[in-house]
Amino acid sequence: MASVSFDRISKKFDAVTVVEEFNLEVADGELLVLVGGSGSGKSTILRMVAGLEDVTSGKIRIDQRDVTPLPPRERDVAMVFQDYGLYPHMTVRENLSLGLRLRNVGRQEIERRVAWAAGMLGLEKLLDRRPKQLSGGQRQRVAMGRAMVREPLVFLFDEPLSNLDAGLRAQMRIEIGSLQRRLKTTTIYVTHDQVEAMTLGDRIVVLADGRIQQVGRPIDLYRAPSNRFVAGFIGTPPMNFVEGRVASDDGAQVFTAEAARVRLPEGGIAAGVLAEPVTLGIRPEDLRVDPAAAQGESLLGRVVLVERLGGTSHIHFDVGPHRMMASVARDGMGGVGESITVRVPVDRVHLFGADGRSLLQSSQ
Amino acid sequence: MRAEQRSGTLLAAPYVGFLLAFAAYPILFAVILVFLQWDLVTAPAFTGLDNVRLLASDSRFWRAVANTFVFLSIHVPLQIATALALAVALNRRLVLRSFWRAAFFLPVVISGAVVAILWSNLYATDVGLINRLLVRIGLAPVPWLTDPATAMPAIAVMVTWKNVGFYVIIYLAGLQYIPRSCQEAIEIDGANAWQRFRYLTLPSLLPQTILVVTLSTINGFQLFIEPYVMTGGGPLRRTYSVVLYLYTNAFSYQKMGYAATIGVALALIIGGVVFAQRRLIGRAEAL
Amino acid sequence: MKFFGRFALYAGLALAALTFIYPFLWMASATLKPPSEVGALSLIPHQITLDNYRLMWARAPFGRALLNSTFVATTITVAVLVFGSMTAYAMARLHFRGRAALNAATIAVLLVPGQLTLIPLYTLIVQLGWIDTYTALILPYLFNATAILMLRQFFLQIPQSLIDAARMDGMGELRILFTIFWPLSKPVLSIVAIFTFMGSWNEVLWPLLVVRDQQIMTLPQLLTVFALGGGAGSVGVSLAASMVLVIPVVVAYAFLQRNFIESMAGTGIKG
Repeated sequence: MASVSFDRISKKFDAVTVVEEFNLEVADGELLVLVGGSGSGKSTILRMVAGLEDVTSGKIRIDQRDVTPLPPRERDVAMVFQDYGLYPHMTVRENLSLGLRLRNVGRQEIERRVAWAAGMLGLEKLLDRRPKQLSGGQRQRVAMGRAMVREPLVFLFDEPLSNLDAGLRAQMRIEIGSLQRRLKTTTIYVTHDQVEAMTLGDRIVVLADGRIQQVGRPIDLYRAPSNRFVAGFIGTPPMNFVEGRVASDDGAQVFTAEAARVRLPEGGIAAGVLAEPVTLGIRPEDLRVDPAAAQGESLLGRVVLVERLGGTSHIHFDVGPHRMMASVARDGMGGVGESITVRVPVDRVHLFGADGRSLLQSSQ
Repeated sequence: MRAEQRSGTLLAAPYVGFLLAFAAYPILFAVILVFLQWDLVTAPAFTGLDNVRLLASDSRFWRAVANTFVFLSIHVPLQIATALALAVALNRRLVLRSFWRAAFFLPVVISGAVVAILWSNLYATDVGLINRLLVRIGLAPVPWLTDPATAMPAIAVMVTWKNVGFYVIIYLAGLQYIPRSCQEAIEIDGANAWQRFRYLTLPSLLPQTILVVTLSTINGFQLFIEPYVMTGGGPLRRTYSVVLYLYTNAFSYQKMGYAATIGVALALIIGGVVFAQRRLIGRAEAL
Repeated sequence: MKFFGRFALYAGLALAALTFIYPFLWMASATLKPPSEVGALSLIPHQITLDNYRLMWARAPFGRALLNSTFVATTITVAVLVFGSMTAYAMARLHFRGRAALNAATIAVLLVPGQLTLIPLYTLIVQLGWIDTYTALILPYLFNATAILMLRQFFLQIPQSLIDAARMDGMGELRILFTIFWPLSKPVLSIVAIFTFMGSWNEVLWPLLVVRDQQIMTLPQLLTVFALGGGAGSVGVSLAASMVLVIPVVVAYAFLQRNFIESMAGTGIKG
């Protein structure tokens, strides 16, 4: 049980800066997700907490204690690796207990903890097997058990579900989430999958190029992304983007692009930003097919493709040169080639400046 | 594919011929020779199991076998320890890494005869480099190759020196296969350097260690040029090797039948020892 | 702390490397020293002399032996590469009856220690009257089981489509092997070439058995006879003879050390 704090952490490999000025406080018992693409620095940050990478500058504190100069074994953290990192020549029981044996924990205590972890993870029957006799999901659980048994201050997860197939991934996601809630151990979880991030995290940190793009609760990142990167990263299917400009028209502000005109809500954006190139963002699930939608609140397009998933349909359509998608319930109307009118709820519209920062956010 | 059959058979035929002449025939004839006495000048004489009986009670032969075990008892553990230590040291980002590797591997490519001659001079009691160094630091010189107690061990150390580079490469290859996540996991689990070695590195290298043991054992039984050049088999026959005895019987005594018997016996001994070793290590692994 | 660890590591490595290199350096310098200085610890001779080499050259036909070794080793290497490729090609890509048995036999051959077949082969050579001939030195080595297995392993991985296309173009098997397979097989061919050449270059026991005539002797053999037979007369001279054997190898090694290591270690790992 401990807080983790990052104080101006940066990491350079030779001349390349991989993590820059990273500041963050992770609360005791929180499940914090670091999410981003490859090269975003998320794994590096995690490994710095573990002590597997040196910190170029800054301090990391676990439970108020400065661990920056300490090697991994003195930090009281436990890590679950992407490829599990199970010791191939040891049985599951030995894998689980090695950490405790190395710390001279008494035999009875070791047995108690191993039994407890095995029970929680459904590993009781597998204790005498070797890793190569286990399935991917079972190895996953052993890796988690190994971490749990140590009762560390912090759990670190490095993309633990990446090597599992989709069905198993969904199931393990739920298990990890409920396990963490029961154990209440501070957890830092790294993934590139935004679904994992949204479902597991108490808070999410979106990273790109070694910099924090935004920190917040999943729902806050969804509703109020602070820049275009976060807006496009969070939420599936991803947000629609249209490049254009904002012009003033009779006191109201209007977003215009080729073949598209959308009225902006009351208040709109700051006057100083008018006439700059901007990007409009609207989520597919916010769009509706509505032939009766008013001008200024709708887009006119031609259907290119309809993906019917049963409960929802993804309608891909072209508005002039812009390719967009609407995600509607059930069987969306519209066959390929037909024209389509899509209503744009103006209070759900996002606007981003030329540099990506948010100018206007959906009010929902 | 008739044409393919024909070409295949045609292309493989020379090799088949070669195998028959230089593999099958000699192996067969070796067994036959066991029952003969032949000096290559007069006609061979059938002697039944005489050669086998002679061999069973031949103290020189069994002395040679005992010498080999003395050799192996020093060479094999020393080989494992040094090769392992060097491989672990080399298995990291190092400046001049290829240079170090090349340095350790150099003796492997040098002819055994040259190494034997070189070390004869290094071990020389009066003028040898090693004794000169010992005297320099205040210790007494040792009659390495003339003292029956030290002669075979001296040769064992030399052969270890010659071959260690080869086994370093084998261990290095094995070290590459230890997954990085396992190494990191054990660090996080709390292991210090020695514990990492004991609980992860060493067990992971078991296949390589088996290979080192097997190859250096076979090598030990095939020892020839070293005793031939350095000691002629002495002192007191303490460095006499089996192959040396075989060679002497063929070349000097002209006893083909007996020499062949030694060859067959050697093949059987090597087979038996290697088999036993693999069994033993296999059982140790299961523990 | 970490710095000290690093320093200790490099110091240890340097010491170990020295142990492996120093004896050769000492040997090289000893060949340039007069007899009085040979035992000295220093590497730099006070008096540099080429007498050892001159004496060595005069006392035994080392030039001839060098030629013999080169001839024998090269012939064997070329033969192993060419004949080995032909055999490996047939075993890998052509289907013929007995292919599997041939494969098994090749592996079996590797398990038999050379000493078993030594005497019968020797008697065979004597019976055929091939003592003191190059034939005796070369013939038993024309085909090499390790090489064949290695080449076969490699040839198995070449896509069938290349062969099919070539056949449709009307190419015969040998053409396919040498114009298509060989260019693709450079790495394995060089590995085989190196260990075959080195094996032959350093081989002593077999020449000692079948060759008595100094004119036919190979270099390591002549060296051994010379050093043991007292022909050297002094340490410097016998070491000089050793240098003749060693220098070409060290020079080749200095340039090709990665290839050497790959080659000789590759054979061990297969084992």
